[in-house]
Amino acid sequence: MAVATPHSIERSSVIISVFSTTPGIGKTITAINLSAGLAHEGYKVCLCDLDLQFGDVLNYLKLSSTKTVAGAQRELLDHPEKFRVRDFLIDYEHEGLTFSILPAPLYVFDAYQTDVELVTDIVTRLNFYDFVILDLNSMFSALNLAMLDISAVINYIGVIDFLPALKNYKIGYDTLIRFEYEESKIRLIENRADSQKLIDGRDVEKLLGEPFYHRLPNDYPSVNKSINSGQPLMFAAPDSKLTKSFDELVGLYTNRQPTIAPEEATGGGFLSKVKGWFGF
Amino acid sequence: MAYRAIVVDDDPNMLDNIVNTLKRSADFEVASSYGHASAAINPAAMFHPDLFLLNVEDEETLNMVSDFVDKFPGAYILGTMNQWDPIIARKTSEGGATGCILKPLTARDILEYIQLYSIRGEHKPAKLISFFSPKGRAGRTTLAAILALLIAEKTGERVALIDADLQFGDLPIFFDLEPKRTVVEATQDIKLLTPVSFAPYFYPIKDGVELLSSPDRPEYAELVAPESLTEVVMMAGNIFRYVLIDLPSGFNPITLNVCRVSNLVFVTTMINSGFEIKHAKKAMEMFDSQADGRRKVHAVFTRVNPFTEENRQKISDQLGYPVDDMIPNEYKMISVANSGRLAKGLPMDTLLMKTISGMADKIIASAS
Repeated sequence: MAVATPHSIERSSVIISVFSTTPGIGKTITAINLSAGLAHEGYKVCLCDLDLQFGDVLNYLKLSSTKTVAGAQRELLDHPEKFRVRDFLIDYEHEGLTFSILPAPLYVFDAYQTDVELVTDIVTRLNFYDFVILDLNSMFSALNLAMLDISAVINYIGVIDFLPALKNYKIGYDTLIRFEYEESKIRLIENRADSQKLIDGRDVEKLLGEPFYHRLPNDYPSVNKSINSGQPLMFAAPDSKLTKSFDELVGLYTNRQPTIAPEEATGGGFLSKVKGWFGF
Repeated sequence: MAYRAIVVDDDPNMLDNIVNTLKRSADFEVASSYGHASAAINPAAMFHPDLFLLNVEDEETLNMVSDFVDKFPGAYILGTMNQWDPIIARKTSEGGATGCILKPLTARDILEYIQLYSIRGEHKPAKLISFFSPKGRAGRTTLAAILALLIAEKTGERVALIDADLQFGDLPIFFDLEPKRTVVEATQDIKLLTPVSFAPYFYPIKDGVELLSSPDRPEYAELVAPESLTEVVMMAGNIFRYVLIDLPSGFNPITLNVCRVSNLVFVTTMINSGFEIKHAKKAMEMFDSQADGRRKVHAVFTRVNPFTEENRQKISDQLGYPVDDMIPNEYKMISVANSGRLAKGLPMDTLLMKTISGMADKIIASAS
């Protein structure tokens, strides 16, 4: 299923997708702060809200727009010769920092009509950006698979606080591997990593056979401030531990810092319980 | 005691065939047989029958099912058909019949169907209830599971849970099950299945509650044709009085098809950032635009805090629709669902359970 599209040869921007197999675990927050962080480093960034039916990028940034990916698709179909992807982007700007956004459709019906090939075409036309960040939804849909195909890096996020969430994280990871995405392309990100919970992150690493690439701390108050003010964390909560953690993640993607060695995994009580469940 | 049967079929060969089958069995005696329902309905009373086999593929007979039910309230009334037709089966059930059975039939078939339909519950059409959520993480699966358990307990009737969240279904984990047959096999086999042969695809969870599981690999979701899934849901309605379907998030061919055949759709939302109400509104409007007058769509909000009427009004104002049900938070619930113990013990003394119990009562009242 993971077939590279012809577009992937021409592109010059780095496409980073933000994906998960459980909804509501911080994809949009991650996508926004990754975009803001990369823009802060001086890169040209475009954030695409591809949670087409119920996207939250504009909500979280307190923006509204009639320019959307649905409009872009319509124009690309009707007037391919004069289509300019810029006409369907809006800018987030604050204190001199700016990045572009390709908003999700306004209506569910429009979202339902989107075509995978056209959206792929639109995204690959964003190649004048240094980074293109894709905020996806939590399914293995045709669109998401096409987006994962053209991504240089897949940010695969999980919050491992609930047994079904762990199951879905493991199943999702196994599926990505079965679909032949290179392991090096999949970056495992644990969100709310330090919250009080039943399941230990290190046990999850053992279960997956792969260390987390990065851990984001649990910082509900800062996320709340960010959403309420409509600003990325660097403005809404500049000194928070989560802001710092996102800064580190951005550093990993821009080679600003050396990769942090993964923690040594230790044995845990919970793992033994779930072992049988996953059949090994 | 042998069943005293009346057979009605407009195909004389089939009528002979059924009559002879019954005559050969010690479990049945044939009181009388007729070519047409209109000829049968009055004289039949003379024989005090307790079983009717009516050819419901004949429209006149199908339309008279409710007359037979009124006149013979204590008798089993089985609609017979040559090919399983979900629409005819539903109409037969709406007429109050016991259920439908495929021809040609054996004496054993009839006994099996009578047994299946007797434990199903009241001889009324099934209530098909879909659990939808715009983005997921809404408490949708937990709500469906608890309602299934409560409805079965309160009514003594059979309840099905169908895990149609095909990529990431959580119901097997909630009940600590690893089923071999799933909704994938059910949809692939459905054209060949009858209520009796379909029943074993379900796994018993607790008295009266059975689960049709989701597959264990996300890519198997692709094997499920949406139209076949609606047939599975409708077929389940012949075995179970209540069929609760846990859907994947958002609008897709699976959710739209299953909601189309449902009597009731719960649009389930959990408020976190606040924008969830916006998403619920979009979803409610989408359902509104496809309203057919038959199906009811209810807005449900979970983990509502504060759990007050003022808050209900506030949410409702933002939603643009009434908040039909709201459910409070209960942290105990998370650990119960987490440990696969959902079927073993619900925290009944909590406000959460009392609220969901009230929802179950409303569903039961609407189904009778």
